[in-house]
Amino acid sequence: MNHRVIARLDIKGPNLVKGIHLEGLRVMGKPEDFASYYYENGADELLYMDVVASLYDRNSLKDIITRTANEVFIPLTVGGGLRTIEDITEVLRYGADKVSLNTAAIKNPEIIKQAAEAFGSSTIVVAIEAIKQNDGKYLCYTDNAREYTGVDAFEWAQRAEELGAGELIITSVDKEGTGEGFDIELTKKISQSVKIPVIAHGGPGKLEHFKEVLTDGCADAVSVASMLHYSYAAKNKSVNEFSAEGNVTFINSGKTFGKIDKAEIQDIKKYLSDNNIDCRYIK
Amino acid sequence: MGNKKEAYYGLPEEVKFCTRCVMSNQRPASTPEFKHTIDSKKTTLNIGEDGICDACRVNEGKENIDWEKREAELIKLLDKHRRNDGKYDCIVPGSGGKDSAYQSWMLKYKYGMNPLTITWPPILYTDYGYQNWKNWVEIGGFDNLMFKQNGRIMKLLTRLSIENLFHPFQTFILGQKNLAPKIAINYDIPLIFYGENEAEYGNPIADDASSLRDKSYFSMTHLKDMYLAGVSIEELMEKYDVTLADLMTFLPADHEQLEKSKIEVHYLGYYLKWVPQEVYYHAVEHTGFKARPFRTQGTYSKYNSIDDKIDDLHYYTTFIKFGIGRTTYDASQEIRNKHLTREEGLALVRKFDGEFPDRYFKDIMQHIDMTEERFFELADKFRSPHLWGKDSDGSWKLRHSVNKTGLDD
Amino acid sequence: MSSEKKYQVAIIDYEMGNMFSVNHACKYVGLNSIITENRDVILNSDAAILPGVGAFGNCMENLNKLDLISPIKDFVASGKPFLGICLGLQLLFTESEEFGVSKGLNLVEGNVVKFPTETSGGKLLKVPQIGWNHIYNAKNDNHWSNSILKDTSTKEFMYFVHSYYVKPSDERDILTMTNYEGIEYCSGVKKNNITAFQFHPEKSGTEGIKIYQNWSSEIKNYKKKNNG
Repeated sequence: MNHRVIARLDIKGPNLVKGIHLEGLRVMGKPEDFASYYYENGADELLYMDVVASLYDRNSLKDIITRTANEVFIPLTVGGGLRTIEDITEVLRYGADKVSLNTAAIKNPEIIKQAAEAFGSSTIVVAIEAIKQNDGKYLCYTDNAREYTGVDAFEWAQRAEELGAGELIITSVDKEGTGEGFDIELTKKISQSVKIPVIAHGGPGKLEHFKEVLTDGCADAVSVASMLHYSYAAKNKSVNEFSAEGNVTFINSGKTFGKIDKAEIQDIKKYLSDNNIDCRYIK
Repeated sequence: MGNKKEAYYGLPEEVKFCTRCVMSNQRPASTPEFKHTIDSKKTTLNIGEDGICDACRVNEGKENIDWEKREAELIKLLDKHRRNDGKYDCIVPGSGGKDSAYQSWMLKYKYGMNPLTITWPPILYTDYGYQNWKNWVEIGGFDNLMFKQNGRIMKLLTRLSIENLFHPFQTFILGQKNLAPKIAINYDIPLIFYGENEAEYGNPIADDASSLRDKSYFSMTHLKDMYLAGVSIEELMEKYDVTLADLMTFLPADHEQLEKSKIEVHYLGYYLKWVPQEVYYHAVEHTGFKARPFRTQGTYSKYNSIDDKIDDLHYYTTFIKFGIGRTTYDASQEIRNKHLTREEGLALVRKFDGEFPDRYFKDIMQHIDMTEERFFELADKFRSPHLWGKDSDGSWKLRHSVNKTGLDD
Repeated sequence: MSSEKKYQVAIIDYEMGNMFSVNHACKYVGLNSIITENRDVILNSDAAILPGVGAFGNCMENLNKLDLISPIKDFVASGKPFLGICLGLQLLFTESEEFGVSKGLNLVEGNVVKFPTETSGGKLLKVPQIGWNHIYNAKNDNHWSNSILKDTSTKEFMYFVHSYYVKPSDERDILTMTNYEGIEYCSGVKKNNITAFQFHPEKSGTEGIKIYQNWSSEIKNYKKKNNG
């Protein structure tokens, strides 16, 4: 299997943002610029998450989706605040190829089934945001890791598969944005218990982490954000027109974020290739 | 509008909202806690003729501040006091939250000071809050003195402050303000650093003119004038079987010793531009800070003041007394920092403000030996008529809200 | 502004799957693409695309319901360029084992089968295959270089999303092969004017667009040869 390296962009309004533990909305720049760059430099897929859709009950990615879909010819997955079949229909019409569901699916699991029937299983990605509890259990959270549900992550993963999800993206909220590496235990357990592809998300800060999660973690694909964004942002300050909204202190400071190695997609793929892990690496 | 409703606590009768952030004019400024009784009249946030509140005004002023100049002032101050003989040269009070993590790190690692961090621990530590404290000390790398209060007295005073002032945090705030000067005196440490400057949050602008806090906050000259939990010291000793020795921890340092000591209190927020969200990132990066693993009840955030279980309830009481919930505080601050638009702030307030924090409620009531019913009874007693009225179905509703969805809006 | 004529491509809409990307790719290479279920529009177009995502059975049901089966067959019979993508490849076949046995369009002989649940080595096989994989020329003859893949190197990466694959009865129909975890299968067919791929060229980056470009040339050439 050629393991996919997916670039994930968290979006708030017009800005690409990057948090830690999915919290904090530090502005990194203009999403379309980052997305184009990643497309041109080896990304296998793009993932857009509207991280405040549930907070404001709004879906505002329309323009960004269309602009991106017009320029890139790789799959684009969109998530964040998709609540109904109509929402999904709309987003696909704007140009998304796949949709990611979390909050809506946990609240009403039947929507996975309905969506899979209406659009095809492979269009439906179920996203699981998991936090490890004190007793070792992994529980699911919704609304961009804001709301507690009490739902067990492993049980939910299997149920989502049964209901017709085409693939799963598993986020370790504990690891997300920290640069400490993926949650191997979480990823492995889920990936081995379902027959559909599992995308690992949350935590990489070094190239070794990708190898770890694809081998020990049994992940089928990886999603990466911080390493790519901090790398691209260091070379491009495209945020000027958006300083009206959002935490732009970081991007204006020219600093770096210590715990995360900057990397390009090709760096990741070369590393995987050098370590005999199949991926779409074109020298 | 018909009959005029009485306004408790000396709050302004007319409820107004800032047109820039989402704060209302009912917001009280910090009061010297030892004079705080139920009859205390509050100074509140001023909203100017143009509809803009003082806190937003102060924030505007921040844009014009020459931060390089301020930093130079800081360095000059630090150079004066820095010790290289191993003794502490400054105190950073904190409980492991993002702010104290940031301050202590900056002072020690950026400016080369030798801080002693001190902790007046929360009334009821949350487990992730406690872990953050440990990480601060262990990963951040700081000496720390934690002063654990007499538990019996803390419980009593917490309960009494709810009974008399509907202010669960009164005792905590006392300790927080008083511990540092006392340790400073005892250890002969001349500098105390707090984080953000109080005017950021809406204290009268005059307080911001200098970065030294008014010493009246923590030094008193007459024991008789002092109140704890809304009860006079005398009454506490007589009625509740408490000795003066029991209460000394909560009382300020001796006024004379303070005068002699030449202790200075400074706000790092005066010298360094404070962006709370960036402070969060900094704390994660350098001291192992971790946000709460779920949304704080009553607001949208996950990393502000998460170490004390009572904190959530405290904000609920401000909602009852002043009509201002935690979302309003958080959103107003972020609007001023330009991290949120006012529209977003309004949506968040609509969604979360006043949400009852039931998660830790039972724990707290059990800890302080109060029944849940009593708490709600008190809540109703403390609702000012000019802020609250009853809905057609008999439930309490705010008369005015920033989204204009109040009873009288 | 080029005054070059734009050729009309009918993207057959049978309410299964997202046509944005296919439409966009066509327009990008200069084709005048129309998403349509109208028989006349389809038959009058210079070329047609049968896209598709979802279940074989549902697709056939819709094609039936919308009365598109005969237009498709008639179009193919006309000899004009016809492109099938993903389900659009599978539907051309005789039958599929999805949900029992479903009949297909039978324009290419053979059947459609599901990926097994395990690899030959006994490892758990993830289905659907979602991601990039190589397409290669298994036969080393002129088929590839006479097709719209003529500028595509063998072993090029393309983007796949599928749980089933096709097994053409006639080997000569096979255009490309792919290997997924040890399972070798046919990922593209060419039979007369039909070219069909399991993968999504419109999602395969610049290499995929190249295929659309060549298809656009094929349409132009066909048109010119048959009084354009």
